[in-house]
Amino acid sequence: MSTLAFMRWLEGTPSRYDAGMRALTFGRVDALHDAVAEAASPRSGDRVLEVGCGTGAVTARLVARGARVTVLEPSAEMLAQARSRVGKDAPVEWLERTASEIDTLPERAFDSIVFSLSLSEMSPDERRHAIAASRDRLRGGGRLVVADEVRARGLAAMLQSAMRAPQALLAWLLVGSVSQVLPNLRGELEAGGFVVRSERRWLVDTLALLLAEPAR
Amino acid sequence: MNDLVKSALQTAFRMLPWPTTTGLRPIGTPGRASPVLLTSNYDLTVRRVERALRGVDAWLLVAPAGGINVWCAAAGGHLTTHQVVSTLRTSGIAERVDHRVLVLPQLAATGIEGLDVFRRTHWRVRFGPVRAEDLPAYLAAPGEKTDAMRRVSFDWRDRLEMAIAWGAPSALVVGGLALLLQPAWALPLVALCAAMALATFTLLDRIPRRGPLILGAAATLLSVAATLAAGGGAAAVATAIAAPPLLTALLTFDYAGSTPLEGGSHFESRDWRIHLDLDRCAGVFRCWEVCPEACFERDDATRKVILAHDERCVRCGACVVQCPKDALSFVASDGARIAPATIRRYKLNLLGRRTADTGVDRASDVH
Repeated sequence: MSTLAFMRWLEGTPSRYDAGMRALTFGRVDALHDAVAEAASPRSGDRVLEVGCGTGAVTARLVARGARVTVLEPSAEMLAQARSRVGKDAPVEWLERTASEIDTLPERAFDSIVFSLSLSEMSPDERRHAIAASRDRLRGGGRLVVADEVRARGLAAMLQSAMRAPQALLAWLLVGSVSQVLPNLRGELEAGGFVVRSERRWLVDTLALLLAEPAR
Repeated sequence: MNDLVKSALQTAFRMLPWPTTTGLRPIGTPGRASPVLLTSNYDLTVRRVERALRGVDAWLLVAPAGGINVWCAAAGGHLTTHQVVSTLRTSGIAERVDHRVLVLPQLAATGIEGLDVFRRTHWRVRFGPVRAEDLPAYLAAPGEKTDAMRRVSFDWRDRLEMAIAWGAPSALVVGGLALLLQPAWALPLVALCAAMALATFTLLDRIPRRGPLILGAAATLLSVAATLAAGGGAAAVATAIAAPPLLTALLTFDYAGSTPLEGGSHFESRDWRIHLDLDRCAGVFRCWEVCPEACFERDDATRKVILAHDERCVRCGACVVQCPKDALSFVASDGARIAPATIRRYKLNLLGRRTADTGVDRASDVH
């Protein structure tokens, strides 16, 4: 279900973000974060790039699984929140940068690259650039892990769009910005040179987790 | 949508975001030496910029800023260094031109750090004029930004626009409710909303500080007397009693974001004063270039800036953000100095965060 208005409000106050997200998704966001971390870091010692860490929910799980993480996050406030959550001694490189700067990182340096609820924050140009640049940052056998709000299927899609209009207005009144659903996430990954290996959906099909590998 | 209808809707409901497609737009037939401009993806703004640039060959970058106008987006943290960096890197502009000079709207100076943009993209940032209409003249002679190009005005057109922006939505809500409950009141109430909005934005900065109270009291007496003399019914008398205090309240309200005037009385930011550390000033004059209220004067002999009109300061923070020597900062009434780095990082300004509970230096840090 689209929870846009609340999400935007929560983003305005990072400290409340996690509790709120958990309530809104009936605890499902925890399951999503777990699934993202598991998919991104199957082995201890994996090198993971997380693009947009938010309050560090996924970062903390990756660290707990023994991954070495590099984070790109443009928001200073989110970054501060995530750092205090994960701990300053954790093996995490925190970079206050945009996703557009992925290509300033070394090539073939990561076992996996994670976009958890961050692609939907970007413009089409930014998504295209970030996805394409990700390809060259992955080592052989590396994978892309993408979790985001997507367009639901069938009847749920109609319900989803009916619920978004009033929520968008509410979001604007509360926090002055509005997020989006990704209409064709799979297509965008494929256009960026990836092959989607698996796809899972949560919350009436509106949250998707995609695993992809660079196409040969 | 018809351009005129679109403009009317966007003017009436300009508080809402009106996002437009982001990315690179050619204006005219630009080449490899044509100027590169950037603005926010607020539809009304982008159309005004395109109109202003008729007959000019240029590249226009439309940055993702939540569909918000330039000044609000920059002050509120939606049009920052990050959006500029991201747009420069993802729009493909670097492959279209041979130079690396980006012209930003002057009012974006409160949100965008020119030096940081350069470090991350190797593009040099110039702050152009405040208003889109001045772009052709600015582009014809970029070194000569006139005083008029630099200053924010609040002339009758701006006042009318803001009166419509506040009046139209309130008329819609009030009129709609009246139609449901008491249809006969709908038209008079809509007229009242329009009159209130017009009166508010006409009078706002033109009456003395205690003016609203005196004006409200006098207007109440007058309007009640007039209504009684005209033999008005209970409803008319009630309106006559309610309207003037409402106007008083409206006149003391904080319209930060709608006017370039000093904010209202509700926020602690009112206590902040701009502080110039002359020892640090190296005569770069970036503050002079970006201040929308012309608070600064240049002393070219000593290569120091003079904070000549701090009473005009609206605490937009543009000068603090742009000063490469950190010579400018805000100082609270208790003497606490809010360091430039904190102001840049957390967008402490008239529209962004108003409380600096993190990272406020104590008074001892004021040199």
